[in-house]
Formats: sequence, structure tokens, C-alpha cells
Amino acid sequence: MTEVLFALSIGMLFGIGVFQLLRRDLIKAAIGFAILFSAINLFFVTVGAFEGDFAPYVSNVEAGRQTSDPLIQALILTAIVVSFGSFSLVLGFVNIISRRYDTVDSNDINKLKH
Amino acid sequence: MELALFTAVPFCLALLLATPFVRRALNKSSQTILTALVFAALFAWLIGTLPRVQEAGAISQTLSWMPSAGISLSFYLDGLALLFGLIITGIGALIFFYAGFYFDDAREHSRFIVWLSAFAGAMLAVVLSGNVLMMFIAWELTSVTSFILIGFKGADDAGARHGAFKALFVTGAGALALIVGLVMLSAAAGQLLYPEQEIRFAGDFASILQATTLHQHEWYLLFAVLILLGGFTKSAQFPFHFWLPGAMSAPTPASAYLHSATMVKAGIYLFARLSPVMHPNELWTSSLLTIGLVTMLVGAYFAVKQRDLKGLLAYSTVSKLGAIVALIGLPNQSGLKAAFVTIIAHALYKSALFLVAGAIDHATGMRNIDRLGGLREKMPVMFWVTLISALSMAGLPFLLGFLAKETLLDAMLHYTAPWTQLVMIIVIVSTAFTAMAAYILIYDVFLGRPRKRLHIHQASGWIGLGPALLAVGSLCLGLLLEPILIPLLELAVPKSFELHLFAGFNDVFILSLLVVAAGFLLFLLRKSLIRRITFPLSGDAVYREFISYVEWAGTTILHAQSGFVRYYLVIILGAVAAVLILSGTLSDVAAGQQILPPNPSVSITDLAKIFMLFLTVAAGLLTIFVREHVRAAIAYGVIGYAIGVIFLINHAPDVALVQLLVETMATVLIIIMLGRIRTDARVKVINSLWTERHDYRLGLLRDLGISIVIGLAVFVFSLNALQNRPDRHSIAEWHLANAKAVNTDDVVGAIVADFRGTDTLLEVTVFTTAALGVLTLLARGGARRGSLAPGKAPGGALHEFDSSVVDEIQDATSLSTPFTRSVSFIVLPIAILIGVAQILYGGSGPGDGFTAGVTIGLAVSLWYVVLGYNEAKKLLPWFRPALIVRLGLVIAIANALFPLLIGQGFMGHVEFDQALGIYDIVGSFGLHITSSLIFEVAIAIAVMGGLGIIIEAIAYPTDRSQDAFEAAAS
Repeated sequence: MTEVLFALSIGMLFGIGVFQLLRRDLIKAAIGFAILFSAINLFFVTVGAFEGDFAPYVSNVEAGRQTSDPLIQALILTAIVVSFGSFSLVLGFVNIISRRYDTVDSNDINKLKH
Repeated sequence: MELALFTAVPFCLALLLATPFVRRALNKSSQTILTALVFAALFAWLIGTLPRVQEAGAISQTLSWMPSAGISLSFYLDGLALLFGLIITGIGALIFFYAGFYFDDAREHSRFIVWLSAFAGAMLAVVLSGNVLMMFIAWELTSVTSFILIGFKGADDAGARHGAFKALFVTGAGALALIVGLVMLSAAAGQLLYPEQEIRFAGDFASILQATTLHQHEWYLLFAVLILLGGFTKSAQFPFHFWLPGAMSAPTPASAYLHSATMVKAGIYLFARLSPVMHPNELWTSSLLTIGLVTMLVGAYFAVKQRDLKGLLAYSTVSKLGAIVALIGLPNQSGLKAAFVTIIAHALYKSALFLVAGAIDHATGMRNIDRLGGLREKMPVMFWVTLISALSMAGLPFLLGFLAKETLLDAMLHYTAPWTQLVMIIVIVSTAFTAMAAYILIYDVFLGRPRKRLHIHQASGWIGLGPALLAVGSLCLGLLLEPILIPLLELAVPKSFELHLFAGFNDVFILSLLVVAAGFLLFLLRKSLIRRITFPLSGDAVYREFISYVEWAGTTILHAQSGFVRYYLVIILGAVAAVLILSGTLSDVAAGQQILPPNPSVSITDLAKIFMLFLTVAAGLLTIFVREHVRAAIAYGVIGYAIGVIFLINHAPDVALVQLLVETMATVLIIIMLGRIRTDARVKVINSLWTERHDYRLGLLRDLGISIVIGLAVFVFSLNALQNRPDRHSIAEWHLANAKAVNTDDVVGAIVADFRGTDTLLEVTVFTTAALGVLTLLARGGARRGSLAPGKAPGGALHEFDSSVVDEIQDATSLSTPFTRSVSFIVLPIAILIGVAQILYGGSGPGDGFTAGVTIGLAVSLWYVVLGYNEAKKLLPWFRPALIVRLGLVIAIANALFPLLIGQGFMGHVEFDQALGIYDIVGSFGLHITSSLIFEVAIAIAVMGGLGIIIEAIAYPTDRSQDAFEAAAS
């Protein structure tokens, strides 16, 4: 049951992110970009860290409890950080475009070559 | 190990010379002496290994790298490698000495020797490699450094740029063939040598050379052709020879070193190296022989036509390279002796001649043979060097070149095949042309009429030392056969041989004299001959044609770039759909595993999850529907938080913490940035998207359609993935079991900081690079700034828009109230405390260096939001992000390298508290001082600095001048 809901939410978030990217408003496009990242991270956690009812701590393991998968969590940590880095780069681009072309409408920008 | 260190020396030298401190401390002459001495020492060391090589046959040393894949960092020093190594280091020492007087500008000089030294290291690595893949890496390094050296004057010289690109293009394309060939060769050798093993890859030369039946392998045809292609391009064989004359725009010391003595012989080295296992096959020998002979003839023929001194030398080098390749291609390895003698002789005389050409260029400022003449009086040393070297090139008795030509003619005479006559004619004609070129060098440049207008700019007399020593080598080595040459050749040539400088008046000697005389005759007739030399098709023209097609294709493809994201998305989606449909897996995906029977019992946590999911999607929809950007940003923050809570419920506290912090940071960044964008621009885009354009509904429907399709696809995909979750028999179990060994309770933390520390190191590097990217963008990219301060929209413009939108945007109030100010003052120290606690106790709870860095960064960004850029900058003088980033990265790298010193691996785990004997003391506070802890500290510092850079760059007020910003950024 929850699986279907998770998949549905991931799909909807993805659709929302793509929709924002397609619009001409660059600020919202940046937000859409970030939503895409969130959707992907959510996807990884739900696919990877599902089994187990406890956080992956040595003390939990020693107590014989079933913990969630630590590896996928470490990978998502990296993914979150890197996606934040690229998101800030996107913001930098939007910022510079608005300064140079005096607009945040992607249709008004037609001379990116210079 | 010693061979590895030996190979590392030139690289270390290059690094050392590249450091600004060393550059300042050493002046030009001390740099010259240092480099020349280092290479002389390397040369002496190599000579010192001679007895050991004689005794053992080969010195082989291996550093394990990927043993399971048959890849190792192995070094292999046998007679062949020794011969090449001596040429590289010996001539290298002289070239470095020469370069000190060739360059007048000290900065150019030090830039040059850095790259030349790096090249020498790469070249040594090529010949000393014991493994094909390592050799390949070094091979590519020589191409890259050669590219830089050819294009050394590229900033002002378009010819240098084109020459450099041409050389890289041809040798790089050949290397692509070579790598495939080498991998196939190793795989084939592995199949023959280790038929039982699972991984059959014999990458080491030592083992490849044992695969004596390699020439019967079914892949032989393929890998032989690929390897031949790689070698032919590198060694400038016809029809790829044209890059070498183009490479003559390099500074002359580089031409002398790379393009006559060493790099162009890399292909020859490879052929000689593989010759024992490859030569029994007809394909190998006849290709080498044919291509070599053609190159020999073409090169010699073109050389005499050249009016550029270096061009003439380049083409005669091409010719000699062809001769050597042809000799290696003689059946039964009968030409190897002659090939090696030619390599030594050619390296000596040709680099001397190049150095003379450089000295002439330096002194007169020109290299055109027609405008030079009578230089004998002005440059006596150079004249004698040229006389000896050019006569050696022509093959006059009893110079070293004579010996080379004797052995060449002898080897070719003993070659018996139906077309022997043709081979002999080609050899004789080419050597005669080579002799002619040598006479041209002596007479037309140094003798003959002195030109009146020639202005001579005398260089230091020391510039003649290198060429003179090389000329002495050409003069004496032929006479010193027994003590020097024969012991060296005995190691490199697989079968026994005889070598005499003068073997009596046999037919070879007579033929040799005949060639010298024929060359002289040609020389006398040169005026009328040279004009008649033409060639219908040059490789260079073909190359230019090809490049113009590539450019045409590029322009055509560029026309397809519309610049609209939606079209790209449609193309990408279409391609994915096409692949899915064609591959036939679509039905599998659609069918999936059977959807699990719905679990009727929904627990409390499930309810919480469902609620959070609902929140996420609702906030996502909100980001679309609210028109005002600030509200959309806040809605986005809600998505991030809701996902963070989902992580928490899914038993991933570390991920949840990072997610919450990062989303906060991201939301803050958007809001800071909104303040920097002009209000009217934002109003305009909102208006045009939602109300203004009459056809906006059409665009809306199109975008909606595309995103619904994507959303549906992702839904199906993730449903499938969720149904087919991976099982847990991964390395995760090992991590869970072993985290205790590194004194951490938090297994995720242990993976991040220890087990997969290299990942984290790279991750932090990526992060700081992104931060620097933001800085560079905003510091350099904002050319048209000026009065774009937020809120100061030009009057009148706003009234054209829907008034409700304007109201929405303009009611932003100042955040700088006494309350917010005092809050931000309190928050920063607390944030620093929390950060420190997260690092110290990250081992037993969520949080690590990264979260610590973000926590402190958030508090700093609060200051920027509340107080504004100027005041925050003034109140936080210690917060200098660029410095902080560097500090963090330096600590991280030092911490990663330290274990290497004590014999552990890169980023190994070190327990400092154990080593210092304070384990119990710090342990009583619940602390463990390990390399992971230091790593976390470094990450925290780097992340804090990176965030600082991003915040400062984005929060920077837009109404100040460019200079002030750059000053602040540095």
C-alpha cells in the first residue's frame, strides 16, 4: 500500500519538477531543479533503506536488532551534498543571467553566446 | 621500488619547479644547473644498473595495484629499456643545459623546463613500464606534454596552436587504436598463459613475452594492426608523418628532445619491445618493412626541398624513423642490431643539428636556408658541430653515422625476397638524399657567401656546450665500440652479432662510399633539382580536408540546438522510449513482478509516512500555483522538510539531519538571491507566464503534457523498483559488523568518514568546486552591472502590470529589527558549539563534519540575511571563506596522505590517541582521536568555507563596482 503511494509521490514530484523546468520563469525552474533532486533522493531511500526497524548503529546491531541498510544511506548523504552544490551553481547562473540580461524570462535571453 | 622512485624524479622536479616559491628562490642559471645535474645523475644511475642488467637479463619490480585484474604498477628494466633510458636522460641533461641559454626571458624558461621535465618523466615511464596499461598512460602523457610544448608560443602564434593540435590529434587517434590493441594483446596472452584461471589478463611485458604462440592467436590480425597504427602515428610514419614537420613550431630544445631523440621513438620502442612475440607473423614484418621503407623515401625526398632549417631536419628525422621501422621489420629480427645503432647515431647527430638550428635562430632571428650563409666566421663552434654531425648524418667514414649506415646496408643486403632489388634501390636513393641534405646544411648555412644584412645577436658561449658534447659523441662512439657500444647492444639485441667499424673493402663498404658520392652529386645539382620536387598528394592536405569536414558536421549539428529545454526533453524522452520499446523490455517493465497484495494493516508510522508524502506533493503543487517567488521558495522548503521527516521515519537519522540542514540552506539561498534580482524583472515574468500572453494556455498544455508523461514514467519505474528491492547481501553487512573496529557507533558515519573516505574526499572537492564556480560566475560574469539594486525599479514600468502582483512583491519588510538582530548574534556561537559537538560525538549519533559545516554556515547566512552584506562582512572579520576552504582541503589531503608515511594505504585508519598514549584520558570524555575525526574536522572547515563563498557571492550587493567585489573575493 505505502509502496504505491511512495511511487505515486515520487512520480508526481518528478512531474512537478519537470514542469517547473519547462516554464520560462528561471527562478521557478531553479526550484524545479531542486525538487527533482529531492525526488531522486526520496526514491533511493525508499528503495534502499526499507528493511529493519532501527537506525544503523553498532549498539543496535549488538542488541540483535534488525537495522536499516547503512550503505545506501551513506550514498544518499553524498548525493544530497553534491546536489546542493550543483543547485547553488544553478542559482549562480540564474543570478548572473538576471544581472546581465535584466530578466528572468528564458524567452528573453537569446544571445547566450556573448 | 627504486625504479618507481627513479621514474618519479622528473615529475617531482617539474612539480618543484612549478611552485612559485622555488621559482622566486632560484634564478635562471641555478634552475638550469639544477635540472641538468638531476638528469646527469639519472643518467649516471642508469649506467650503474648496467652490471645488474647484464647479470640478471632484466630488473623487474612490481607494486601491486589491481592484482585481481592483472594490472600492476610494474617496472621492467632490460637492455632495450636501458638503451632508451640512457638516451632520454643523457640527451635530456644536455638539452636542459642548452635551454638555459636559449631562452632570454626567465619566466618563459622556467615555464618551459617545468613541462620539459614532466615530459622526460613520462617518456622514462614509457620505456621503464612493465605493464601495458601503465605504459599506455605514460604514452598518453607524452602526447599531452608534447602538445603543450609544441603550442608553447601558442598565445601569439596561430601556427603553433595548429601544429600542437595536429600532433595531438594524430597521435591521440593512434593511441585510441593502441589501447584497444594492447588490451586485446594482453587478453590473448592471458588466454595462452593461464588457461585455467578465471581472470586471464597478462598485462605485464614479462609475461606477454613468454606467450610464444601469440602469433597464432585468432585475434592476432586485429591487435597487430591496432598496435601498428598506434606506433605508426606516434613515430610519424607515412601517411601520418605530416604532424612532425607541423610540430616544429615548438621551441627548438623541445624539437631536439621530443621530436628527434625521444618521443617519436616511442613507437619504435614499442615495436622493438613486442618484436620477440610478434615477428614470426608475416603481417607484422611486412607491414613494418613496407611502411618503413615508404616513410624513409618520402622523408628523405621532402627533406631536401625544405627551405626552413628545422623543416629540413624534421623531414630527415621522418626518413630515419622510417629506416629504423623497416629494420625492425626485417624477418627473424635480423635488423635489430642496425636499428639500435641507427637509433643511437641518429639521436646524437640529429639533436646536435637541431640545437645548432636553434642557436642560429636565436642569433639571427631566422631559419630560412636561402637567407643564411657564411656563418662559419661568426659561429665557429656551431660550424664544427654541424660539420661533424652532418657528416655523421651523411655517413662519412669513420663517424658513428657511418657505422649506422653500414649496418643498415648490410642488414638490407642480407634480406632475401623477390623484391630485394626494389628494397635496395629505395634504401640507396633515400640515403643519397639524406647525404645531400647533410651537405646542404654544411655548405648553404655555414660556408657559401656571407649575407650582409644578417644581424648576429651573440648568445653566451655556454650554449655551445651541449651541441659540442653531442658532436664529440658522434665522433668518438664509433671508435669506442668495444668499451661502450657493444656491451649496450648485447643487452638489447636478442641474438649474438658482430660489429666492426671497418669490416674491410667488401661490397657494403663500396656501396656506402657510392651513396656518399651520389649524395654529393645530387648536392651539386640541387639548384635545378629542388624546384622539380613535387608530390601530388600530401598527408597534410588530407588532414585539413578531414578537419574541415569535422567542423562542417559540428556546425550542422549546432543548427539542431534550438535552445529550448522542452525540445531537448522531448528528444531525450523519445530516445529513451525508442530504446525501451526496441529492446523489448517494456513488456517486462509493464508486467513487473506481481503487485504485492495490499497490506491491510496500516501502522501508525505508515500513517505518518502517508501524511508526509501528502505534504510533499501538496507543497510541490504549491510551488507551481503561487505566483510570488518567495512563497514558492518557502513551499519548496516544506518539501525538503517533509522528505527529511520521511528519512527519519525510515530509520535514517543521519540522512534526515543532512536533508533538513541542506534544505534550510537551499531555501535561504533562494531567498537571498531573490533580493538581488530586480523586482520589475520578476513581476514581468510572472505576468507573462500567467496573465499576459493570449496563447499561454497552449504553452501550459504542452508543458503539462510533457511533465505528466515523465511523471507517469517515473511512477511506473519506481513502482517497479520498489517491488523488486535489492536484497541485503551487500557489503552493508560487512560494514555493520566492522564499524566497531574504527571506534564508531554510527555505521553511516563510519562509512562516510572511514570505509568510503575517498568518496567523501571527492565529494567535498566537488562541493568546493561548485562553490568556486559560483564565485567565478558572479565575480567575472556580471559585466553589465551597475545600478541594479533591488527594489529600485524605474518608475512607471510597474504600473503597466497587474496591480495585485506588484503588491505581492513589494510588501517585503526589512528583516533587520532589534529582535532579529539579537537572535542572530546569539545563534552564531551556539551554532559553532553545536558544530563542534557534532564532530566530536558524531561517532555515536547522527551528524558529522558535513552537518557541522552546514550548521555554522547557516548561522553565518542568518547574519547576511538580517544585517545585510556590508554589516555582516564588517562584524565577521575572521570569516574569510576562500582561506577557510583552502585550510579545510589542505587538512583533508594531509590527513589522507599521512597514513602513506607510516606504511598504510591512502586514507588509512590511524588512531592518534593510541599512538600518543592518551587513549584513556580522552576516552573518559567519550572521545576518540582518529584520522576519521581529523577528516571530519577538515570536512567541516571546507564545507563552512564553501558555503561562505556561495553566500557571499550571492548576497553581494549589486550596486558596487566590479573591482571591490574581486578584492573582497580574494
